[in-house]
Amino acid sequence: MHPEIVRLLQEAEDRYLQTSEVEIFQRYAASLNRRLEIYEKLREKEEKIFQPVADAIEAAFPNEKPEVVSRSLKHWILILRYCATAMLANDPEFLKLRLQEWVKGLVAAQANEEIELKIYELLETELKSHLSEKQLPLLLPFLAKSKELIFTDE
Amino acid sequence: MISIANLLSEERLPGNYFAHDVYVKGELELGLLENRRGDRLLAIPDTFIAAIYSGLDRETGSATPLVLFNCGKWWGKNFYVRFCEEVKDYYGYGVAQMEMVEFIQCLEQLWKTHGWGLFTFDPSHYHHGFLVVKISNSPFVRQAPNWKRPAGFLEAGILTSFFTQLTGRELTCIQTACESLGAETNYFVLGVRDRLQNVESWVKEGQNHEAIMTQLCA
Repeated sequence: MHPEIVRLLQEAEDRYLQTSEVEIFQRYAASLNRRLEIYEKLREKEEKIFQPVADAIEAAFPNEKPEVVSRSLKHWILILRYCATAMLANDPEFLKLRLQEWVKGLVAAQANEEIELKIYELLETELKSHLSEKQLPLLLPFLAKSKELIFTDE
Repeated sequence: MISIANLLSEERLPGNYFAHDVYVKGELELGLLENRRGDRLLAIPDTFIAAIYSGLDRETGSATPLVLFNCGKWWGKNFYVRFCEEVKDYYGYGVAQMEMVEFIQCLEQLWKTHGWGLFTFDPSHYHHGFLVVKISNSPFVRQAPNWKRPAGFLEAGILTSFFTQLTGRELTCIQTACESLGAETNYFVLGVRDRLQNVESWVKEGQNHEAIMTQLCA
């Protein structure tokens, strides 16, 4: 949880935090509020964010079985939940572990990569319409990281 | 039309139950290790594994491999029951209802989290009636004495009873490549006993895993 804060406190184990370190702490505390807002928004709007994605993906792949499309949508619902948690805790390692050790395998075994990529693109667009300009930079890096983790072979 | 509301009717989207960062918990004051649902875990040092080998060798001599295989079988039986219980509790459905990929990933993750090495399941010989399991960095093999033959008898026993219970067919397991003999990894082949009867002699002749699989599936 909050690896940056944990590291700061560990480094200051035998002393007080220096002024510059307290500033980092303050910046982090301020961003935590924003992170929580985004987190709550994603939670509240999960259905609203994904329904247009689902509609668009069905239109783009009309011949694909609904089970396959549903499964891919579920992958990305799960990925976005992991992104939300990783963003809240500012912990990319959490995202990496969950994606590499779980979701990546599911995607590779069950899904059509073209569909998954398209969902990613649609999701990114959808998020841009739900989150403000200030909120996006906190979340999007985690989503981009997900794309990299899911679609790039080690 | 796909409805997201329907997809999310259950709200929970279970993920990686056996992930090491959430699966193992320690209680420093009591000196206990537990898994995420509170079952006790036991940490054993390499020295202890080495001592099992030397103790067994003193007590049972050349029967050591067989004893280890049978211990593995016994352990594997309970291990399978616990695996099924935990999977059902967490995912809400049993092993039989799991998607193949979920099942394999669970098993691979569980193996890794328990520190038993990297487990990879290879279903590519399934249509010939064989299952292949690859285990790299096995702590059990690492401590094994130099038997000049594959040494993962404990694991072969565990795999035998695990997959026998899983498939409902009497399977056996033979190791075809071993890290203790300089191979890159450990390979185990599972199948019905009659069809594996030649494997042991092929291993003794020094044939490698690929050659053995080719002959088996010919």
